[in-house]
Amino acid sequence: MIFDIAGAVLLALGLLLATIGLYGMLRIPDIFHQLHPAGLVTGPAVILVLLAAVFTGSAEIITSAALVLVFVLITSPLSTHAIAQAARRRPRQSRDRSS
Amino acid sequence: MPDLVLQIAAGWATLLLFGGGILLLRARDTLHRVLALDVLVAIVIMLLTTLSYLRDVSYYIDAALALALLALTSTLVATRYVTRGGPF
Repeated sequence: MIFDIAGAVLLALGLLLATIGLYGMLRIPDIFHQLHPAGLVTGPAVILVLLAAVFTGSAEIITSAALVLVFVLITSPLSTHAIAQAARRRPRQSRDRSS
Repeated sequence: MPDLVLQIAAGWATLLLFGGGILLLRARDTLHRVLALDVLVAIVIMLLTTLSYLRDVSYYIDAALALALLALTSTLVATRYVTRGGPF
């Protein structure tokens, strides 16, 4: 019973964070400001949904989810950083066209 | 976890997928598109994870792992393409 409630809360919290992040990305036009809600979706939202695997009680699912969790923890900041760096370093004319 | 919660979560993640599609269609720039695809992959990972909980099998999460690997590679290559005009 407690396991069910905790898993449901984690799932709902993760999906709520993803919804908030997606709404923010739809509202914000600038790429540097858009990176902030994007980091919310690719980081904590995915991690919370994956943490809900603990409460399923299946060993296979928990192992796979732990693998994906470690991978997401490493790659999500990497890709966000790469996008920010590309937005800063790209040629001038494409930056003018974007704004 | 009860099936009803997982079904609602899967439906919610599918709605988020539509939101990501709108984000991708509204992108005006290559980097906006790359960012939108990154977010879409995160949403697909959440959807596959929820589907895995719902059906009680583990291989959907393995597919999510492969998708995350591909998303990292494609994001890095696309950003390098924007910066230097080519992937290398």
